[in-house]
Amino acid sequence: MKAAAFDYVKAKSLIEAIALLSEHGEDARLIAGGQTLLATLNLRLSEPSILIDITAVSELKGIFVQGNMLRIGALVTHTEIESSDLIAQHAPLLKEAAPHIAHRAIRNLGTWGGSLAYGDPAAEWPACSLALDAIMVIQGPSGARKVSAKDFFIDLYTTTLQVDEILVASEIPLASSNQVHSFQELARRHGDYAAVGLAAMIRTDKGKVQTCRLAFFSVAAIPTMASKAQAFIEGKSIDTALIQRAVNLAREEIETLADITNSQETKTHLLGVLLERALTKMMP
Amino acid sequence: MELNGEQLIAAPVSRVWLGLNDVSILHASIPGCEEIERISDEEVRAKVMFKIGPVRARFAGKLILSDIVPDVSCSMAFEGTGGAAGFAKGKARVELIGTESGTLVRYSTEASIGGKLGQIGGRLISASAKKIADDFFLAFAKELGGELITLSDTKVEDKKEE
Repeated sequence: MKAAAFDYVKAKSLIEAIALLSEHGEDARLIAGGQTLLATLNLRLSEPSILIDITAVSELKGIFVQGNMLRIGALVTHTEIESSDLIAQHAPLLKEAAPHIAHRAIRNLGTWGGSLAYGDPAAEWPACSLALDAIMVIQGPSGARKVSAKDFFIDLYTTTLQVDEILVASEIPLASSNQVHSFQELARRHGDYAAVGLAAMIRTDKGKVQTCRLAFFSVAAIPTMASKAQAFIEGKSIDTALIQRAVNLAREEIETLADITNSQETKTHLLGVLLERALTKMMP
Repeated sequence: MELNGEQLIAAPVSRVWLGLNDVSILHASIPGCEEIERISDEEVRAKVMFKIGPVRARFAGKLILSDIVPDVSCSMAFEGTGGAAGFAKGKARVELIGTESGTLVRYSTEASIGGKLGQIGGRLISASAKKIADDFFLAFAKELGGELITLSDTKVEDKKEE
């Protein structure tokens, strides 16, 4: 199939892109990497009247360090994250996660901002942004605002982004020397949507866990933190008994949602398996 | 696909029943509803813009009501087509139960979805249906001037039941 007819405008600046969005509202879609949007258009699951190409908007580009934060522009591709030295140094969780995203051809075009704004519950970046306490930088007609990742994802495919707003970048606190991470994903074949995934990060202080972030994806309608398991782990040192308790807590607290191939029970079981692997890997 | 759940609305049973039968209230409550028309006591036709994630498709459909027991329960059969996107059809049963704090609406739905929507959307179709049902009841309770009470409690319960 081919897409229905639509108009195409290439915005030259962020201001122009936002003005176009404000003008056309729900009839417009932003296009950057187009890795989800173009498939949807060609299958006529969606028929917007205008596509606003934002790939020339310089404000959305680049990875750089800003004070104690790492800023990742919305247009940064998955491949750029995978091969960036700044990412490897300051947000190594992302480097480890990137190869799990689909296939090379898709990673070359798909973008950080596209994945976050789309908010697929099985996607890697939303969970990683939660695990790393990322802050979303959003620009709209009335100016800029910042939203933490935990408040950004509201519901299935739904974020706090309003119809006339653009996700500009994310800011991630630079990884500290006492920080370790683990990224775990199970999929039927490499590159498929995750059956269950986990982005985990801990910071330790004198052998005890100071901060613990366990962000699961593909388990519910949005990426979900195991907050009870996190609170249980914080302040303690990781050993096999603690891991078992944390696994049980996480299985209890996360209400899994089945998808077409995996039942609720399967997902609940697998999330515990992944948590055990992640905590074992992060154990000093 | 099956979707079962219950919601507690802070309004008396008679008011909830009237609301469920009032097309203007339904128009305001059904997410993306563009047109809704009552053809007869048993038949309702509607146009709905189904908008979730990658999908934005307009569905035209009809609803046939049966076993109508006012203030208590009814059954319905529905079918809708969304052009190239696909189709959906199924049946549902709704029961109203009066409680101290309001009306407990209990629903059970069986639906099948076909076409492109079935293939592409299949991965998350039950999650999508649940979101639409939740959005509907939130708006519906607001339209009735009541609210969804102890929403979090009922939500947890109905998720476990699914």
